[in-house]
Amino acid sequence: MASLPTADTQSSNKTSLLMTYLQVTPLTVVLTFFFLIPVALVVAVSFFRYQMLVGLVPDFVLTNYIDLIKNPTTWTLYLSTLKFTLIVLVITFVLGFWIAYFLVFHVRNLLVAIGLFLICTVPFWTSNIIRMISWRPVLGKEGLINSALLKAGAIDQPIEWLLYSDFSVVVAYVHLFTLFMIVPIFNSMARIDKSLLEAAVDAGASRWGVVWNVVLPLSKTGIALGALFVVTLVMGDFFVVTVMSGGLSGSATSGIFNDLQFLNYPRAAANAVILLIIVLLIAAAIFRVVDVRKELVR
Amino acid sequence: MNKTATKTESGEIRLVNVSKKFGPSYAVQNINLTIPHGSYCCLLGPSGCGKTTILRMIAGHETPSSGEIFIGDQMVVGKSPVERGTAMMFQSYALFPHLTILDNVAFYLKMRGVGRDERRQRAEEMLRRVQLHHLKDRMPAQLSGGQQQRVALARSLITNPRVLLLDEPLSALDEFLRLKMRGELKSLQHELGITFVHVTHTQPEAIALADMVVVMDTGRIDQADSAKEIFNSPRTPYVARFMGGQNVLTGTVSQISDKVVYIGHAGGGTFEATRTDMPAEQGKPISIAVRRDRIRLRRGSGASGVNQISGVVEATEYQGSFVKVTIDVGGDVFVANVSDADYFAEPVDRGDAVTAQWAAADVHLLSKLDTGAAGDPYANATH
Repeated sequence: MASLPTADTQSSNKTSLLMTYLQVTPLTVVLTFFFLIPVALVVAVSFFRYQMLVGLVPDFVLTNYIDLIKNPTTWTLYLSTLKFTLIVLVITFVLGFWIAYFLVFHVRNLLVAIGLFLICTVPFWTSNIIRMISWRPVLGKEGLINSALLKAGAIDQPIEWLLYSDFSVVVAYVHLFTLFMIVPIFNSMARIDKSLLEAAVDAGASRWGVVWNVVLPLSKTGIALGALFVVTLVMGDFFVVTVMSGGLSGSATSGIFNDLQFLNYPRAAANAVILLIIVLLIAAAIFRVVDVRKELVR
Repeated sequence: MNKTATKTESGEIRLVNVSKKFGPSYAVQNINLTIPHGSYCCLLGPSGCGKTTILRMIAGHETPSSGEIFIGDQMVVGKSPVERGTAMMFQSYALFPHLTILDNVAFYLKMRGVGRDERRQRAEEMLRRVQLHHLKDRMPAQLSGGQQQRVALARSLITNPRVLLLDEPLSALDEFLRLKMRGELKSLQHELGITFVHVTHTQPEAIALADMVVVMDTGRIDQADSAKEIFNSPRTPYVARFMGGQNVLTGTVSQISDKVVYIGHAGGGTFEATRTDMPAEQGKPISIAVRRDRIRLRRGSGASGVNQISGVVEATEYQGSFVKVTIDVGGDVFVANVSDADYFAEPVDRGDAVTAQWAAADVHLLSKLDTGAAGDPYANATH
């Protein structure tokens, strides 16, 4: 195995370099065709001119961006999206953290843990539309909750804000996206050496002290990844918000959707670019707080 | 300053009828053990014998299924480690990977609500004591195994415990560090004067460190005694075999006098042993132990007198100050550790017929009959 710097090793260096390029090629090709080129196209189109009846006119104008920024609807939509993102982020984090904590540290039987984990995926066993529709018999005016409350005498009139409101939108988001918090947090927590928890107890930490000083900091990566999932999913959604709010609320993406229906591709593209930049900024902020890459290698 | 464990309360540990069940099976059963205050106690046994379970029950990380545990005069079952005045050093060291060395050591003080400046100062003092002050801002992953262990030690000691519990503290270190740390643990215990309970599966470690060695077999204590007693006069075949250094022979009691028990061996010889409090009954089988280093070898077969056994040399192994000669005596293994001077004066080799001989004083009666279960830990190289 003694390797001397001869022609032999040089040629083997060359082959290994070739191998490296070969290994990288498939991913590069896929990313180029399905990610880089489409994004570049969108960016290009966002500077095109839109003409009624004609449609796209290749050009380099900033009118699409200026239109959007001047339009108060854009601001309303973005603010509403950010509001939903924040609320959903907080709720899914709290739920996801404790569910993962329970699964990792309290369920001793692996089979039971896997079973409970599968239950968390139940919302994904059916299609999005059915999932949305099935909220109606629960939250609707004559739905489960209202009729139960009426019968119990807690209220005399059905609660209106249960369905077709910000509340129902948040409920649907939480229902859908909590799993995306659970999985990465579960993954980080599962890698925590259990004796660390005992060491903390040994040093006089209370149950809450253990969570705050040991479990939470060591789950940071999972929380960051989960937050990233939830942020991108909520920011990119328009279906849930439209259906669950009964069309009363919108999201940044609904703005894009509207423009597309009027065939105003340039403005939709500009809107998409703005949304992309905002999501990237949020992602950068998350990565700034937690060095996910370092933690993943660990 | 420290509310719980400072006023040199007694660190005597008493286990009364302690059992621990995991599911349907017992990890330990009916343990009765008293570890005196200020002693260095080693729990010794093969893996799965329940020694770590006992340690964890003393530490409060495991609750006994039945029985009581006292530390000092306090019944501690159900109490937290801090209330018990125990501190545990984990086998994996269990340093918090996200905290600096200083914060690791200061963790206990932080949990007690000690102010930032004071706890930093006290943690730095403790780190100076274990000679790691220069590494205080490093993360645990940046330290070597030996350094990590010192940090773990510092983190345990800052709680000012009356009992320090060590779970296989030396097993992850290389040979050189292990011997060094072993010496340091012993002198630390001497200096602090608190009770140390140390779990290990390595016999020399237990003998070198402990005032009291507790030898465990699957869930039971076989013998709890001083290291000298355990090594010289094991009470059971299991202890004799597990501690090594002994040959275990089985025969039938042929005659009992006031002072001597005569035992007939299946191979034809007769053994004599000093009579002790061990049960011996005429006509019943009995096991005896003979120290390996008290055996003289001579060439030739034909064991004629008492306390002799003949066989064929199976292997010789040079160990520096002595030579380990393994002899096949009619299918059983008999080991003689011959001093190097004696060996090289009259070397024997594989295939030679030899007779081993020993004095009656070096024979010990055992309380149980040998089943050969534990085997010889030295025979199948522990390292």
